[in-house]
Amino acid sequence: MTIEFHQVSKRFDNGIDGLRDVSATFEEGSMTFLTGHSGAGKSTFLKLLLCLERPTRGQVLVNGVNVTQLKPSRLPHYRRNLGAVFQDHHLLAHRSVFDNVAIPLRVVGMRERDLAKRVRAALSAVGLLERDAMSPGALSTGEQQRVGIARAVASRPKILLADEPTGNLDPGLSRSIMGLFEQFNQVGPTVIVASHDVSLIEAMDHRIIELSNGSILRDEEYAGDRASFESGVESA
Amino acid sequence: MARNKLRDPWPRARWSASGWVQENRRIGGEAVAFLSMRLGTSLLVWLLVGIALALPAGLYLLQVNLTEMTASWEGRPGLSIYFRHGSGDAALALSDALTARAEVALVVVTSSEQALADFRANTSLGDTLTLLDDNPLPASLRATLVPGAGVADLERLAEFARVAPGADEVVVEKTWLERITILSSVVRRLGMILAVLFGVGAVLVTSTSVRLAIEARLEELRVLKLVGATDRQLRRPFLYFGALYGVGGGLVAAMLISFGLLVIESPLENLLGSYDQTLEISGFGGAFLVTLLTTGGLLGIIGALLAVRQRLRHLRIL
Repeated sequence: MTIEFHQVSKRFDNGIDGLRDVSATFEEGSMTFLTGHSGAGKSTFLKLLLCLERPTRGQVLVNGVNVTQLKPSRLPHYRRNLGAVFQDHHLLAHRSVFDNVAIPLRVVGMRERDLAKRVRAALSAVGLLERDAMSPGALSTGEQQRVGIARAVASRPKILLADEPTGNLDPGLSRSIMGLFEQFNQVGPTVIVASHDVSLIEAMDHRIIELSNGSILRDEEYAGDRASFESGVESA
Repeated sequence: MARNKLRDPWPRARWSASGWVQENRRIGGEAVAFLSMRLGTSLLVWLLVGIALALPAGLYLLQVNLTEMTASWEGRPGLSIYFRHGSGDAALALSDALTARAEVALVVVTSSEQALADFRANTSLGDTLTLLDDNPLPASLRATLVPGAGVADLERLAEFARVAPGADEVVVEKTWLERITILSSVVRRLGMILAVLFGVGAVLVTSTSVRLAIEARLEELRVLKLVGATDRQLRRPFLYFGALYGVGGGLVAAMLISFGLLVIESPLENLLGSYDQTLEISGFGGAFLVTLLTTGGLLGIIGALLAVRQRLRHLRIL
């Protein structure tokens, strides 16, 4: 799915600007890293896409539809096309790894037999198939993050969003997690990963958008030698 | 077609019966497991809802049985007319006149001689009457009304008897039937008031309990909302909680009423026996139990709906 931000601004109730006049286009099947210091607007960017926040101004178009104006009754059906991964996983401690990954599939009413296949496939992809009966609390932080990723991709979303997915992981695990996102991106979804770890994302050959104080500071496509060019930069 | 696709790129999932059954079976099972894990709280809620349901339901049973009793009771409203001395013929004449009236079922005339004989036979004071020169007891007449005759018929008949020749005193009898009818009416209204009050109580109890269940599963609700669960899907488990709390409360109410009936059975039998009546509790059957469980379930669902609506409206995902 193609994602377009058209002059999007978000001002919170406390007067702080989350985003300022941001415009960017994400082609279907592309992979992009959002980076910037804490408070730069990365999370706000993703929340606007998830319709967890509404912009103060501007449009967020997904496949040509302004999702900021979707009726509340339509939001669940839109969100079923998205997969989201967060730094703190949001795994349910009282449910098994299997049941955590199965949540989005049960929401869409998938038959249990198909659901079991899909969950096992997702767990297998993140290397946790043998841990399916365990409680998330019994897993390491890196494994919990991989369960979160398995849950996000199990429903085969059209858009995969991740907010600081490697926030509390060591460099080795971080590279492995980013590798998983690359792997899923190759299957088809548009992937946007927010991360403050510049050295990690610059080592990967994908587009990088750097935000600062809610505005786009740079928008670079990977071009072998990472030569900077201005494509898509419409920041104020 | 292409235009429609552009307008609605995220169509609603098609409803399927098997999917609906599968989801409800899973959620129902999870609700039972959730309540079992918090058995202490669940028992308390069931007891509270049970007490709230038992009181109006018990009054309903009482009212039904009082109505049954009045239908089977042989005593019916009537009036007694006492005549002046030497008016025996007047009593017989009035007896004929009353027998001819449609609202009168039975007329029994008691002459002053018969009254004296009855007095002697039924009391230990019979010998004292031999000390008197004349029989002091008057002739009398008792008229019983047909079933279904009302107070207006009774009053009209009393007016007719008061002006009859020889009539000295007319006593309109407020029979047990009337008293029980009045009592039944009082019980019915009291039951209705209590049903409303305790129904509200049951709704509040389940609403509070479901609200606690929502708080315990807030993180799950956030995740479900994030992955695209509709409000209906978010509500469903809690409606099960409400229904289970209500149905369980209904069951407890039935047990409390059974216990109450067991306790009062013996003294009630003695009381009715003194009126030549036998105890037959009616209304406490399968239909009553089903109504009690259904009412409990519905009140529980209403309570759950209130709690869910209030809490989910302000739920923030992140």
